[in-house]
Amino acid sequence: MIALEFPEINSILVWKDIFPNFPFNKVALIAVLATLISATIFLLAVRQSHKEAPKGIRNFAEMIVEFVEDGIVMQTMGKDGLAWTPFLLTMFMFIYLCNVPGIIPFFQMPATARMAVPMFLALMVWVIYNVTGIKHQGVGGYLKSTLFPPGVPKALYILVTPIEFISAIIVRPFSLAVRLFANMMAGHILLVTFALLSEALFQAKDKVLIPVGILPFLMLVFLTSFEVLVAFLQAYIFAMLTAVYIGGATHPEH
Amino acid sequence: MEAIARLVAAEATPAELKNNAAAASAGYAYGLAAIGPGIGIGYLVGKSVEAMARQPEAAGMVRTTMFLGIAFTEALALIGFVVFILLKFA
Amino acid sequence: MPTAIVTQSNGRLVHVRLVSEDTTDTTMPEEAMLETTVLEDGVTGGEATPAQLKSAAGEAQVTVKAAPNPIAPTPKEALWSAGSFLVLFVILRYFLFPKLKKGMDARYADIRSDIEGADTVKADAQSAVADYEKALAAIRVEASGRIDAARQTVDTERNAQLAQVNARIAAARAEADQQTAAARAAAQGQVAAAVAQVATKAAQLASGRAPDAAVVQAAVTAAMESAGSR
Repeated sequence: MIALEFPEINSILVWKDIFPNFPFNKVALIAVLATLISATIFLLAVRQSHKEAPKGIRNFAEMIVEFVEDGIVMQTMGKDGLAWTPFLLTMFMFIYLCNVPGIIPFFQMPATARMAVPMFLALMVWVIYNVTGIKHQGVGGYLKSTLFPPGVPKALYILVTPIEFISAIIVRPFSLAVRLFANMMAGHILLVTFALLSEALFQAKDKVLIPVGILPFLMLVFLTSFEVLVAFLQAYIFAMLTAVYIGGATHPEH
Repeated sequence: MEAIARLVAAEATPAELKNNAAAASAGYAYGLAAIGPGIGIGYLVGKSVEAMARQPEAAGMVRTTMFLGIAFTEALALIGFVVFILLKFA
Repeated sequence: MPTAIVTQSNGRLVHVRLVSEDTTDTTMPEEAMLETTVLEDGVTGGEATPAQLKSAAGEAQVTVKAAPNPIAPTPKEALWSAGSFLVLFVILRYFLFPKLKKGMDARYADIRSDIEGADTVKADAQSAVADYEKALAAIRVEASGRIDAARQTVDTERNAQLAQVNARIAAARAEADQQTAAARAAAQGQVAAAVAQVATKAAQLASGRAPDAAVVQAAVTAAMESAGSR
């Protein structure tokens, strides 16, 4: 039989610096590349003529913009939220391009599987929706609409207010960060597991085991295509929840 | 079972014992955390499909709300997964 | 005095690094971990204890350091991703997105104005068609009016000529009738005179006396009329 030991967890998640004595590792590289790629896509798109029907990269960029406008902003914030489109577009592009290296050969690591990236994004969203709420309703109004949601019987406020407080102040950023991080890390660990399993089976000393290796390999192929979907879905959900939180802070009645 | 446990207790150092307990409870933690969200997401998507089939013109709105609901429900399972990682590796 | 930096995970020895200087600075934790791993002789993973290590490394001071938590955020990665995100946001928000959006809006406005232009052209064409049809209808009405007028003229002329001809025919017929009647009257007179003479003679012969001329005349006329009517 074969003995297969899972590698030490940090060896598949923690990466050493690419250059000696310069704090820049694979995750940082992916983040920088995400910025460069999105900026390049939009730069090339802008340089094309806007007169005729969009083709190629401009069509692609406009598709993304319209997806963010129609699929995220209009669905959650309505027409007033269109000013947030560039922010949500940045968020969507950045998260997607940080997720997708999880299945790209030689990268094989989603940058969002490191807590640092989702944590930063979630904290930023937390600051933004609180600041937006205070700006739109004032400190008192924002606290009132958040902690004392209208339409609740007075007696229930004893119960509702602490829950709403914990929800808005702690649970929202925490779940936002953990959702993205855990999804990507789980996907990453699953891919590693099945890759190691099929490798071990293909190289087994017992020749009978070699054909069995096709099973984990098929699972690996399936999981890889599933990760494509997850990478998109998580970016979409993160951006959409951001829009929901900001929209809720802007218009408390919704 | 008890015999094995006693044997392990006899052999293992306290640190190893703690690690073994953590590894076992990590498995339970994730398994238990996955039950609720599993049922919840199944119910949620089923109802959404029903709604979309009944009113295809409202499919876009239903889908958006469905994804939001899935995101909130799924968070519970994912917190279980994080607890698993914390227990097992940290 | 050399320092051995031992990386431990789950109570197991992962990596050991010997540092020549007495430095407690370990920079980034994973840097230490991924340094070339040298396990001391006789020390295998899972069994090493700091005490064993100490004996292996002689006088070396042993620092046992836990492996980095796999889900703890690292400041380095947070800073790089934050920087990248903010740079991307600034680029998109202030330069590329407004440009792209302006292009899209301009094109949509173009398309909308094109559609509106097409609509006006269509309306123009429709009004032209309506004008044409109106003119056509007017011309048709006029033409049919003229045709009717012409037909009427022709009819009246024909009727007049017909009336003339009919009058002429009637006149001719009346003349002919008159002549015929005159001829018939003359012939009847002669016949009546002859019949009266014959009748008088016959009566004279039969009765021996000449009958009254008036009686004969009346009888002849009655007989002739009954014969003529028969």
